Amino acid sequence: MRKISVRVACFLALLLSYCSQPERAPEEVRVRLAVDPETLNPVNYSRAESLQIINLLFQSLLSADLGTNTIKPFLAEAMPSVERQDSITLFTYEIRKEAEWTDGSPVTAQDVAFTLKVAKAPLLNNESLKPQLEFIKDIRLDAGNPQRFTFVCSGFAPEMELLTGDFFILPAYLYDPENLLLHLNVADLHNGQQAVAQDEKLKTFAAQFNTPAFGHDPRLLQGSGGYVLENWQNGQYLTLTRKKDWWGNNTSNTQHLTANPQRVSFQVIPDITTALLALQNRQLDVLENIPAHEFEQLRKQESFLKDYNLHTPDAYDFYYAGINTRNPKFSDKRTRQAIAHLLDVNNIIQVSQMSYATPTVGIIPPSVKEFYNSNLQPINHDANKASTLLQEAEWIREADGWFKNIDGKREQLTVEVIYRAGNTNFENAAAILKQNASHLDIPVQVQGEESTLLSSRSKQHNFELYFRSLSGNPFAFNFKPLLHTAYAGMGGLNYTGFGTSESDSILDKISGTVPDREQQAVLLRRLQEIMQEEAAIIPMYYTKERLAVHRRFTNTKVSGLKPGYDVSAFTLKQE
Amino acid sequence: MRHLWHSILKLWRSKWGFRLALVYLLLFVAVALILPWLPLPFSPSMLDTNHTFLPPLSAKAIATGHWLGTDGLGRDVFTNTLFGARTTILISFPVMLLATALGLVMGTGAGFWGNDKLKLRRSTALAGVLASSAALYYGLYLPLQLRQLESGSVYIAGALAVLLVLLLILGLAAIILQKKRNFWSTAIRIPVDAVVMRITEAVTSVPRFVVILVLASFVPPSLPILVLLLVLTLWPDVARLSRAEMARIKQLSYFEAGRSMGTPPVRLVWRHALPNLVGPVLVAFTFGLGGLLALESTLSFLNIGVPSELVSWGRIIAGVRSNTSAWWLVAIPGTALSVTILALYTCSHYLSITFGLKRHS
Amino acid sequence: MPAHLLRKVLLLVPAAWLAGTLVFLLSRLIPGSYGENQILNVEASFYSKSSQQSREQAFREYQQKNGLDKPLFYFSLSPTAVPDTLHRVYPEPRRKQLEQLALSVGSWPEVAAYDLQVQRIQSLPLPLSKQEQQAISTLRYSSSFPALEQAAELLQNKPVTPEVAQRLAALNQALEALVDSRQILASLLPRLSWHGIQNQYHSWLVAALSGDFGNSYRTGRPALTEVRQGIGNTLLLLLVSMLVVLAMALELSILMVRRKLLWLRRALLPSLFILDSVPALVLAFLLLVLLANPAFLQLFPVYGMGYYTSGSLSAWQQLSLKLQYMALPMLTLVLVNLPYLTSQVHTSLQAALQASYSRTAKAKGLSEGQVIRRHALRNALLPIITIVSDFLPALVSGSILIETVFAIPGIGRLLVESVLARDTPVLVLIVLVVLVVRALSYFSADILYTKADPRLKHSIL
Repeated sequence: MRKISVRVACFLALLLSYCSQPERAPEEVRVRLAVDPETLNPVNYSRAESLQIINLLFQSLLSADLGTNTIKPFLAEAMPSVERQDSITLFTYEIRKEAEWTDGSPVTAQDVAFTLKVAKAPLLNNESLKPQLEFIKDIRLDAGNPQRFTFVCSGFAPEMELLTGDFFILPAYLYDPENLLLHLNVADLHNGQQAVAQDEKLKTFAAQFNTPAFGHDPRLLQGSGGYVLENWQNGQYLTLTRKKDWWGNNTSNTQHLTANPQRVSFQVIPDITTALLALQNRQLDVLENIPAHEFEQLRKQESFLKDYNLHTPDAYDFYYAGINTRNPKFSDKRTRQAIAHLLDVNNIIQVSQMSYATPTVGIIPPSVKEFYNSNLQPINHDANKASTLLQEAEWIREADGWFKNIDGKREQLTVEVIYRAGNTNFENAAAILKQNASHLDIPVQVQGEESTLLSSRSKQHNFELYFRSLSGNPFAFNFKPLLHTAYAGMGGLNYTGFGTSESDSILDKISGTVPDREQQAVLLRRLQEIMQEEAAIIPMYYTKERLAVHRRFTNTKVSGLKPGYDVSAFTLKQE
Repeated sequence: MRHLWHSILKLWRSKWGFRLALVYLLLFVAVALILPWLPLPFSPSMLDTNHTFLPPLSAKAIATGHWLGTDGLGRDVFTNTLFGARTTILISFPVMLLATALGLVMGTGAGFWGNDKLKLRRSTALAGVLASSAALYYGLYLPLQLRQLESGSVYIAGALAVLLVLLLILGLAAIILQKKRNFWSTAIRIPVDAVVMRITEAVTSVPRFVVILVLASFVPPSLPILVLLLVLTLWPDVARLSRAEMARIKQLSYFEAGRSMGTPPVRLVWRHALPNLVGPVLVAFTFGLGGLLALESTLSFLNIGVPSELVSWGRIIAGVRSNTSAWWLVAIPGTALSVTILALYTCSHYLSITFGLKRHS
Repeated sequence: MPAHLLRKVLLLVPAAWLAGTLVFLLSRLIPGSYGENQILNVEASFYSKSSQQSREQAFREYQQKNGLDKPLFYFSLSPTAVPDTLHRVYPEPRRKQLEQLALSVGSWPEVAAYDLQVQRIQSLPLPLSKQEQQAISTLRYSSSFPALEQAAELLQNKPVTPEVAQRLAALNQALEALVDSRQILASLLPRLSWHGIQNQYHSWLVAALSGDFGNSYRTGRPALTEVRQGIGNTLLLLLVSMLVVLAMALELSILMVRRKLLWLRRALLPSLFILDSVPALVLAFLLLVLLANPAFLQLFPVYGMGYYTSGSLSAWQQLSLKLQYMALPMLTLVLVNLPYLTSQVHTSLQAALQASYSRTAKAKGLSEGQVIRRHALRNALLPIITIVSDFLPALVSGSILIETVFAIPGIGRLLVESVLARDTPVLVLIVLVVLVVRALSYFSADILYTKADPRLKHSIL
């Protein structure tokens, strides 16, 4: 017995002896991932985590530079030249001369054509990219310059320029060494010819391409980016190492093409609580999306601040409430305005974001000063005003609530609030709305819905009020699919049914003719006014990103754009 | 019944642990039931957004009346813990009652009839199978399909009418077939015991938590469905126990005597078997209730199968995820949960000693 | 292999088939598949990256490619009026409308005719007011007859070209035919349609029989690979904590049955009883908040299963690194399961001590410790085998929660993630694996049993 006790004691001692934290290599950046990226296939990824990593392996023609929050040419030499013809638009690009693949061969227009074929071909697992490149009808290669080419796109929209550059270019030599797709052409694939699906070579290629290897194998995940995949322990961690002599480091005056840290290691830590503890143990160098309350606590910890910088850049996540205007109870805009007055945005921000958010009057981020309508007054919590508005909308207050005759039926004013189950921000907002409405005897029923159910209810217009968020950006402001009445039908993105003839014409103008930015600003400001008046979409706030970065790094390019920093730019501070 | 009452009374007099646990449980149930009429300073969903994450018994907490602190929205932890108790009782009690009833019926049936005591004519068996499939189609599937129609009630009434006619025809057909001596009138044995045991094995072959997790992902979160899922996974425990007890009771001489005198089975079971079953079943009931409380709070913590607005202990505990330093969000409902389970286990423990049963999981 | 073991193995096959079939069919019956979430329900942004039509097209291709457009089972039973090819109609609201119309009318041809007319109206390039748009939307998606008639009436007033007028008239005619042919009884008759082996279930079953459980929807990798990667950590966690629990339970029980250590028994049994009442959820969080929080006591690293370290480590080093991360989850599992096991072992040990052989041994003059270890323990082990094999499922459920709280990439977390993402292939496989592991634990218990006591060889059949 004694022997066993000794053994148990030894075991415990062994455990405790290992409880000191492991040493860290200084040139490595350690980042948290909330979930395993699952696949790194540059054509068929679906998670933001995958995108963050693929961005270090592969490159697109254009991309956002987080240092300046602007779109910059990455693989392209410069922004494309645009030429509009009747029903088509031409975008002409030239790829950087020095750009090369891992094996040293240059990136050419052929690679771009190959990528388009992969995106458009049938049989391949390309469902997530295919709809996005639907508007590119064809590619024209320049006979004289192997790195110059032109996209032929149908119609025109202001975001097209951005979209033509927004997909990863694949290495044809690596993905298709037997040239199985060479004989196909982009225009045929675009037109969806039946014969193509029977093509034997394509079938062979599909059989290869659809294997998981194209999303996992380090030998295949080699693009023109500065890093290669070194190790991937599923569900635990994933490391990238810098290429030995990457071409991007040799280009002059391109601050945004970087690959500085020797190694980037991504740790999969699903639970934010555990991630925070890891950060406090100095086991992570960067952590984004820190819950507001924890962030506030970190801010007070002297010892933590010695090692980490805290940042709160303005993010582009728009949080709003949407009211179904088709519902007879809410078809009067004064009723909707009354609800807007009950929302109490400031309190919601205080509770769920601890003031790390900016209230907004409209859909444009307040940080985009050029277009934000600063003349509008935000709608504040005002129960009296709400009650006046309800009376104007012909609701009559009785002992047990508000009533109105709608289509001959006596209806009570009740609100059913839905949001995505598990989202505490919305849960809090709904609780506050419920509390404020209860003072006016308006019963509010709150239900968190599973995301599939929520989107099907929104699509089928089977809701009264929902809370949602919208991920925005500072680059393009074409709200037509979101706000135009042409998209208010079943399945369209205009779930609330917002729209007046004036707002429709504004949206048409913004998406059609290219006005100068000044004129665009006038239109967008007016749009915000109309939206506030209509109160179908009640804007609440834009969040601030909350992140911590270790102090030993500079040039972190902290930004409101996701993921909030550019890990490839991190450089060690010179001590 | 009298025997049970006497044993409990004896326990009450002799064991202070049992007395304590029982008093706690009775108080707990009483408070939970009359809670809505108690003059509490706060309601469970009342927000106090100026005072979020107040630690218990801090100066600010005492000043604002939130003695046991508040959560991230300024909801009073004390009130929420009380209302969480109410939710727990309102869910767990009916679930356990239903599961016990179902288990009791299945278990005593299996124990009583065994594999060869229940005989049915072929015609009756066939009519039964046909009738239940008709009932499934017209009584369950079609109404569910027709429910969303505009004048759905007319259609549903139609479906039920068709079902009624079908059942009548089947009944008549069975009777006519029985009249003559032929293939259909011969009796076959129904292996009740084997069937029930196979079903309990099937239900328990996969851990309960896994079953509920998988099934709950297929349906929208709602209380009735959760209750149904819990009942469907909980009954085998009681069924096994009552089957074993029934098999034992069946061997007793007075039972044999009653049987040979031709007493109808229902009366036999009701008169002689049930009084003997009550004790063991009560033990299983209290013990199962304890496990159910833990399961229910885990589910509401994971937010699986539970409506989001429900005030529950699991939800309060989940609040610690957004602020790790708010230890009281774990400690207070955690203590309430543990103490309640402890009280239930204590009762179960003493009862099982009285009824001479071994403790089981 | 003994005959009764073989019989149990054979019994496992129908159980596995039943469980797999049930999970598979249930998962296909619910709305919202993985592909639908990924392809159709794209979050809106400031500009749209793709049109609704192109997404729907992509989704249909995805379904065809994966055989998801085939019927679910060998046969289906549905009301006569609803055709069995209806599941191919897109988008979903339109399918729903047609289904409901068919149900309430009781006959399909009229519904099909109406559908065609609505499509023809929709294809007209007309400038529409907001009201008229809504009316067309009603015609397309509503299944309420008064609403349909109202919408059709509203469109009648539109000043139009002869072509439009003609189409509107045709629509009205189709609608009238629809209303007139309503029959309640017709929609109640069931129809059995036979789909043959071209169905989703059959393809799944055939593949599963040949060992191919499909690819995970989320990662695109074989479900088997996914599960294999997760199971290692879970088994390590389970086995180590089970061994620790077992060792501790034995030691504690041995201590408790000694006469000299009565005080220990008096203190230990109630505290174990109290510990038993603390649910795993509460225990895990208490330990996390107490022992791994810099604000209180920072003893353990808390998440995952360690880092990638370049350079090779010896097996011993790797294991110790892993153990360090597993300390807290294991501690939780041990604490959760210790009370039950200890009380069981204690009970059976006590029973063994009462038995005659122990008393004989004592009479022979052996010391108390020798009696306990040499005689009582060996005999008490027999019931313990059963207890341990019974105990494994409880461990599996416990590990699900603990893996979720402590972020351990094991099979429990995989299960929770697959449940949330509706990754059916992985889900089915995990349920099967749990089933098989449980059965295996029973077999090994059986074998140990017969080894320990040859007399039982035939009685446990």
